[in-house]
Amino acid sequence: MFAMAFFFDPWTPLVFWVGVLVLQVFFSQIDWKKWLLFMLPFFVTAFGYFWTTLVFAEDQSGPVIWTIGDLQITETQLNHALSLSFRVLAFSSLSLLFALTTNPVTFILSLMQQLKLSPKIAYGVMVGYQFLPVLKDEFVQIGQAHRLRGAGGEKNALQRLLGVRRILIPMLAGAVRKAERAAFAMEARGFTGEQRSSYFQVISIGKVDVVLIALFLFVLVLSCTNGLWLS
Amino acid sequence: MLKSWKLKEIVLMSLFAVVFGIVYLLFLHVGNIWAGFIGPIAYEWIFGIWFIVSIICMYIIRKPGAAVVSETIAAAIEVLLGNAVGPRLILSGLVQGLGAEAVFAATRYKRFDLWVLILAGVGSSVFSFVYGYFLGGFAVYSTGYVALMLGIRILSGALLAGVGGKAVADGLLATGSLRGYAISRSKKGEARA
Repeated sequence: MFAMAFFFDPWTPLVFWVGVLVLQVFFSQIDWKKWLLFMLPFFVTAFGYFWTTLVFAEDQSGPVIWTIGDLQITETQLNHALSLSFRVLAFSSLSLLFALTTNPVTFILSLMQQLKLSPKIAYGVMVGYQFLPVLKDEFVQIGQAHRLRGAGGEKNALQRLLGVRRILIPMLAGAVRKAERAAFAMEARGFTGEQRSSYFQVISIGKVDVVLIALFLFVLVLSCTNGLWLS
Repeated sequence: MLKSWKLKEIVLMSLFAVVFGIVYLLFLHVGNIWAGFIGPIAYEWIFGIWFIVSIICMYIIRKPGAAVVSETIAAAIEVLLGNAVGPRLILSGLVQGLGAEAVFAATRYKRFDLWVLILAGVGSSVFSFVYGYFLGGFAVYSTGYVALMLGIRILSGALLAGVGGKAVADGLLATGSLRGYAISRSKKGEARA
C-alpha cells in the first residue's frame, strides 16, 4: 500500500486494482450487489480527485492535449489525475476485500493470539462492539424522547447535524455507566487482563493464509515493476 | 504502560469509540458526497471531528497513552462496523492519536486547559496531514492548494476537536456521571463535580 504512494503514473495503481479484483473474483464468495453498493461512493470520490488534480496540478509540463476554455490540460496532468483516481479505487477495493470476507470477532482474536495484542484491549474492544446494537437503540430512543417533548424536528440537514450534539451528551453519559458496569462484571468473573497460555477459541495460521500473502506480494511486485518499467 | 490502566477506563474508551464511530461514519458519508463535487479538500473542513475522541478521552482519563489508544480503538471499531475504508483506517487512527499524544506529552500530562486541547487538535491535524500527503499523493497539487488544505485542516482540528471536544466533555462532567475518573479529581475551581 505504501509502495503505491511513490508512483504517479496511471498504470501502477490500475494494475494493482485489477489484481485485487481478480483475487476477489477467484478466491472469495461475496455478494457482488453489496460490493457495488459500497464501491459506488468511491467512484464518486475518485472522480473528485480526477478533476481536482486536473485543475490544481503543480507540474504542468508536457504537450497540451486538451483545452477547455482557458484551461489547458497537459499529458503529465492527465497522467497524475488518472493515477490518483485509480489509487483511490485500488485502496478501496483492497479494503472491501477485507471488510466483506473477514469476521470481526475472529479478527480481534487473531490480533490477540498472533500479534500479542493485550487481552485488556482486545476484550475491551469486543465489549464495545457488543454494545453497538444497544447504543443504536438508545440513539433512536433519545431522539424520540426529544420529539415527544417538542424538541427537535429540524427540517434542514445542517441543523439536524448540529442537533446531534443534544443527543450526544445523554448517550455518552449512558455509555460511561454501561462501561463501568461491564468492567465490574468482567472483573467480578475473574478477568485480570493478563496474557494467557490457552484460549477457548483458538485461531491458527494455515496454508491458505500463506498462499494469500504470497499472491498479494505477487500482485504488488507486478504492479510496481510495471510502474518502474514504464517510467 | 497498560499496567496503570483500570479495566473500566479501557471499556469506557471502547464505548466512546463506538458512539463516535457512528458519528464518524456519518461524517465520512457527508465528506464522500462532497468530495465527489469539490475534490479531496471537502474532507478538510470536517477533519477535526475525527480527532475528537482522543481529546475527550485524554481530558477525562488523563493518563499517558489515552489519546493514542482511544483513537486507535475508535478506528478499530469503525473497521468492525464494516467500514469500507478497511484496516488501513486503524493506521490513520494511530497517526492521528500520536499527533494529539505528542502535545499532551510535551506538557508532561499536567495541563489540560483549553489551549492545550486546541494544540492537541492542531497536532493531530499536522500528523494526519503528513500521512495523507504521502498516501493521497498530494505532491502533484500546486503548493498554494496544499497550503490551503493544511490551513483549513488545522483550523478544523483546533475548533472541532479542541473547542468542541472540551465542550462535550464539560457537558458530560456537568451530568455527574464522570465521578471516579481523573477529570473529577482535579483541583478545585477547575472542575465542578
